[in-house]
Amino acid sequence: MKLLYTLKESQQQALSLRDGETIWYCVPVDLAFDNRARSPQTSYTDQTWIVVTEERLMTLRGEEKTSEHLLADCEKIKCEHQVGCGIVTVFPREGLPECVARFSMRQIVRVAYAVRGAQTLVQAMQEGKSLRMVSRVESREYEKYCEKCGRALPGTSKCMYCDGKSDILKKFMALCGEFIGRLVVISLLLVLLAGINMFNPMVQRYFIDNSLATGQGTTVDLWLFIILTFALTVGGMVCWIYRYWLCVKLGASLSMSLRAKLYYKIQALSLSFINNRKPGELMNRVSRDTRQIRVFMQDVFGDMFSMLVTMVVSLVMMMIISWRMTLLSLVFVIVVIVITRLFWHHIHTIFHKQWLRADDLSSNLQDILSGMRIVKSFGKEERESARFTEKTRTYAAIQKKNETFWAVFYPILTFLLGVGTYIAVYFGGIQVLDGSMTVGQLVQFISYSGYLFGPLSWMTHLPREMMLMLTSLNRIYDVLDEEPILADKAESKAFPIEGGFTFEDVSFGYQTYEPVLEHISFNVKPGEMIGLVGASGTGKSTLINLIMRLYDVDQGRITLDGYDLRDVQMESLHSQIGVVLQETFLFSGTILANIRFAKQDATLEEVIMAARAANAHDFICKTPDGYNTYVGEHGYNLSGGERQRIAIARAILNNPRILILDEATSALDTESEFLIQQALNRLIKGRTTFAIAHRLSTLRDADRLVVIDKHGVAEIGTHNELLEQQGIYYGLVNAQLRMSGGEK
Amino acid sequence: MEDNRENGMPNLLDLEEFDEEALKKESEEVLQMRLLTADNAVFTRTEGGFLSLQFDGRSYDRVGVYLTFPLTNSQEFISIREADEKAKEIGMIRSLGDMPRDVQDMVQEQVRLRYFMPVIRKVMEVKDEYGYAYWHVQTDFGSCRFTTHMGGDAVVSLGEARYQITDIDGNRYELPDLYALTVMERKKLDLFI
Repeated sequence: MKLLYTLKESQQQALSLRDGETIWYCVPVDLAFDNRARSPQTSYTDQTWIVVTEERLMTLRGEEKTSEHLLADCEKIKCEHQVGCGIVTVFPREGLPECVARFSMRQIVRVAYAVRGAQTLVQAMQEGKSLRMVSRVESREYEKYCEKCGRALPGTSKCMYCDGKSDILKKFMALCGEFIGRLVVISLLLVLLAGINMFNPMVQRYFIDNSLATGQGTTVDLWLFIILTFALTVGGMVCWIYRYWLCVKLGASLSMSLRAKLYYKIQALSLSFINNRKPGELMNRVSRDTRQIRVFMQDVFGDMFSMLVTMVVSLVMMMIISWRMTLLSLVFVIVVIVITRLFWHHIHTIFHKQWLRADDLSSNLQDILSGMRIVKSFGKEERESARFTEKTRTYAAIQKKNETFWAVFYPILTFLLGVGTYIAVYFGGIQVLDGSMTVGQLVQFISYSGYLFGPLSWMTHLPREMMLMLTSLNRIYDVLDEEPILADKAESKAFPIEGGFTFEDVSFGYQTYEPVLEHISFNVKPGEMIGLVGASGTGKSTLINLIMRLYDVDQGRITLDGYDLRDVQMESLHSQIGVVLQETFLFSGTILANIRFAKQDATLEEVIMAARAANAHDFICKTPDGYNTYVGEHGYNLSGGERQRIAIARAILNNPRILILDEATSALDTESEFLIQQALNRLIKGRTTFAIAHRLSTLRDADRLVVIDKHGVAEIGTHNELLEQQGIYYGLVNAQLRMSGGEK
Repeated sequence: MEDNRENGMPNLLDLEEFDEEALKKESEEVLQMRLLTADNAVFTRTEGGFLSLQFDGRSYDRVGVYLTFPLTNSQEFISIREADEKAKEIGMIRSLGDMPRDVQDMVQEQVRLRYFMPVIRKVMEVKDEYGYAYWHVQTDFGSCRFTTHMGGDAVVSLGEARYQITDIDGNRYELPDLYALTVMERKKLDLFI
């Protein structure tokens, strides 16, 4: 995403930059804000900018500098997310906060990056760091619109209309190259098929002119004609079926190959790439976009070429027979194209509407069905069913209207297409009557014109199909071309981990305009157990994600045994981390396979020992198939506590150096919690452990507690130290005691 | 307290009483609707374009103005909250109309700063192209071009003939009355409504 726009010469002058002062960030804002009155205005604005240099934050409207703040005078600068818009607020060292700019959601991400950039400068100044040490903030996010044509980009970096099309086609061709053999066979079949199509009218003409029209034909001729036509038809049909079959196969292989590549790539990509996209979107790319390719290959690709070949050859043949009549028909072709295009738009509209209604209806139905208990318990069945009936009624009305339209429109369209034939018959008939054309030629001509007109309506929405396929391809290649950010470098190290962590001024946010963690700094000694405490949504799980390096920090660094976490080989790191999460995910498979997940070559004895240590052995023995019991979706139903203990066994088996427990014992009954706690205590010994728990009693063995509040470390120390401080932790402990007291 | 240090739990139990009081008080406070009126609240507009408040013996440098029914009752039940992240409620304005004129203006200004939802006055063009719709409309903020998805969520009904349109950036636009548009304009919206 672009963070440094170029200003016009006159605008640059308005800024009156000092010698050597350079613009670091320059981003547009789109809502008018009166900087003198400090009041929002009800209008959009063009040519209004936020400019950040290493010394100042300025706003510029047209050629007028509307506000100016010395970064050295600022306490902090923030981009504040409002409702449907955002504002930039400057907190001066002295005095009250000031609003300096306002913008819609269209610019919020860009402004947030620029403001974050300004904030790093402010902070560097406060800490007395040299500006040379400050690196410019860069954005990896994609633009939402093409800079050249203004079209929306479907979550890709390149615009298909402007520069992506040939590129994508080239890549697609390369992919097709893998299936070159099948493509050759398909092309041959296409030519053969076109040939058969072309040959048929010739046979007809020969038969009419030489046998029927002359009156000298015999039954033998008739039989010959029937057999020949029959053979051609059957031959054509066989070719067509075979071709279709090949195209289906090609489409399936292509989409399978793409899907496999996508799947592999997505696994390799960091969570931040996945997080930057909407949850369903990547799934869509794997399933829907690859299906789009398959459908295109089987339904459009083959037909497209065979029809094109047929149409071109028909045209040539028609020209040979009578160029004047051909030209006449061509005029008509244009009429038909125009008519179908017009109507297609209308059809598209009405069916889109119907689709919207159907969508609405089904989500409504789903609402009612999944909320059935509530509907019934409040006795609102009648109101709900009345609401549903109303929706069904509108849907039915639209559907009826559409089908009626279709029923009327389709015959008319067919008729229109047929009109071309009438014209041909009329003019051809005249020529036949005056003897300049034979009856056979006329029949041949009419057949060819059928080949020409037939696919026309189909051809008019070919561009749409092409575009859909290109969009899908674009989205697929967008993922395939992405370089994993978190990939190991050549110099990445693999080493046996001791488990000492340092956090040095770590900042991170999933969304640019909402930092989750800011300026986190603390040390963890090897073997220490750290309890992470804080209200939900304060960033505890985020901190753990950073430790596991599912994301890279935005600022600062995390070191592990003295090495920057980014220089540690991923596999080495992950093979030495054990994780037990709140929601235990068990893969579909046996208990054995689930425990062995992290260490495939573990012996059965090791597995049993791990299960024993996790207090899981007993209940596993009681299941009908023991360690071979199938769990996961559609499998044997394990309770939450049992799943949790399997997860712990999984972690124990791996013998990790670092252990992460994210709410490992929440939402369990007392007995399970006790058993799990016991298992965890065995597991924790001698390993660096990070544990998150809402129930503070779970953390009573922690060496130190880190309280996270307002995106940062609020308190740090042992249980007793924190109680003495009478701060947040003290409050939390009290609140929990009160709650448990209330339950009594 | 010092002597109980070795053993955390009894220490905590001692504190239970005190804490219960505080929490009780807090939950009682939530129960009450604290109304800000012309008599008990003094609003001042700050130099920086925000609003400060003096209420109940406390002074707030900056307060947030939150509409509780932004789509239906924007003049009533306005929640005035602290400006920090927790945004604890200070009190509510029952009805803005009951406040003095200058307070009304100040609060309205904050609402205009915080909320952005242009009202569509005229539909110039809606063009659909491969999964996206490109709109060109006149709003109370001026002429505007925006892009929406073609799916069902782009335009939702807010009841009667009122619609809300969400573009791909997350901006929302309001169409207050479909039937206030001309027939030609309505035709352009055919795909969505």
